[in-house]
Amino acid sequence: MSTTDLVGILVTTFILGSIYGLVAIGMTLIYGALRILDMSQGSMVMIGSFVGWGVLVVAGWNPFVAILLAFAATFLLGTFTQLVSVQPLMKRRHEIDFEMLTFITTFAVAIVFTNLALEIFGPQQRNVTFVISGGINVYHGVNLPYQSLAMAVVSIVLMAALGVFLARTRWGMAIRAVAQDLDAARLMGVPVGKLYPLTMGLASALAGIAGVFLGGLYFASPQAGDQPLLIALIVVIFGGLGSLPGTVYAAYAIGLIQATAEVLVGTTWALPILYAVILLVLIVRPQGLMGKPSEARL
Amino acid sequence: MTTPILAVTDLWAGYGRAPVIRGLEVAVAPGEVAVIIGPNGHGKTTFLRAVSGLLKPSRGEVLLDGEPVQGRAPEYVSRLGLVHVPQGDGLFAEMTVEENLLMGAFPASSWRARRRALARAYELFPGVRDRARQRARTLSGGERRLTALARGLMRPSRIMLIDEPSLGLAPVAIDTVYEAIAELKASSTTILLVEENFTHVGGIADAVHIVEMGVIVRSGSFDDLSRDPTVVGTYLGSL
Repeated sequence: MSTTDLVGILVTTFILGSIYGLVAIGMTLIYGALRILDMSQGSMVMIGSFVGWGVLVVAGWNPFVAILLAFAATFLLGTFTQLVSVQPLMKRRHEIDFEMLTFITTFAVAIVFTNLALEIFGPQQRNVTFVISGGINVYHGVNLPYQSLAMAVVSIVLMAALGVFLARTRWGMAIRAVAQDLDAARLMGVPVGKLYPLTMGLASALAGIAGVFLGGLYFASPQAGDQPLLIALIVVIFGGLGSLPGTVYAAYAIGLIQATAEVLVGTTWALPILYAVILLVLIVRPQGLMGKPSEARL
Repeated sequence: MTTPILAVTDLWAGYGRAPVIRGLEVAVAPGEVAVIIGPNGHGKTTFLRAVSGLLKPSRGEVLLDGEPVQGRAPEYVSRLGLVHVPQGDGLFAEMTVEENLLMGAFPASSWRARRRALARAYELFPGVRDRARQRARTLSGGERRLTALARGLMRPSRIMLIDEPSLGLAPVAIDTVYEAIAELKASSTTILLVEENFTHVGGIADAVHIVEMGVIVRSGSFDDLSRDPTVVGTYLGSL
């Protein structure tokens, strides 16, 4: 492996890992607080990619507008998704297989979103061109486009902001409290009926922003969320369900595996190799990197 | 008698179909420390949970300062000034002691005054202050219970429900916990606590109610009931 290959791998890892982290961290947040694997997170990425296309290509506005609008749109849709597919089951969660049922109900919502997008925008892939051009020549032949750098930096800032929000603020602490002891949190006066939809809205909004970025790297299309959903599932399981630091480490680890496979073996084989490695790792360490399987809490 | 802070009439509650609480009645006057005593499995915890809203009662009335709260969500009842220190302490295990206390001040009005409340709680519970930066899951049983009590002081309360303060603690830790409860009583906190026996509540109980199979079978002062041989002899432990 040449130095150019190595630098190329690191640059790709940095970009992919940051964006994967942003896609997956919302899923971890939702799992930690609500004990559900939210299968609608992929469609939030897809919706984000279409917002990016609409704002950047159709309207010709700047990327920050795209980020803000994607945040707003997917926040609302995430809240809506919680209210229609999770909240109605909440009261009966002790009598039913809550985790499995919400896995299916959120997946159902995702399919509705995907088909709505298909109906409205058609099946074709659309380029989401960013207005940021140019880049840094990191090493001979390895270019880091400003656009990708900006995506990675914004992703990292957003993940850090989420961390500070959870650690320091009243509502962030309330989310952690609910994740750790629901009854006790309610005794403290935390209105879970509002907190749950808002948590899912927030998580979805992060996935929505990641969607703008992924749309820029790949395309906007009704299927644009399928691959990111799978990656996010892998990241959260690999990181140890419900662990935020684990999610971030896992995101970069998976970015690294994918980047290495792309450079050394080629793009076609990158994903099969990624999944093979993950299969192996999980057989050896089923609880993931940072997992405390049965009691993982935010 | 003045209007009670908490008045419970004909309360029925339980899990599934079988009621554990069967028509329980109790009233707690302002500033009073009321103690419900009864053996395990006779509904003491269920009763507290039905009052604070963690459990929906199937029948009956719970008045908090005259307002009916039966069947309301715990977050609602909590905001009216009911503090419930539950069985198992209900601490947030992965949060620090101080974060746990801050959660006690969650309602917006209390949140604004959280620094003052924190100073006051630490003043009353210096042992808790020493553990402020530690995660709750690393605490000993006694420290956990004191933290749970201190957290109850983080917002203005009308009444504090305390579930078996002595449960699972070493004798010396029990003494510390009861000293703390005596301090709360001295600062005229209204308290309703449940215990399995008379052993620790002598110094603080104003009124004692004995629960059996989900109903109050005797009520009176600590002195009256603790001297009654039929009461003490049956199941109420040593003095």
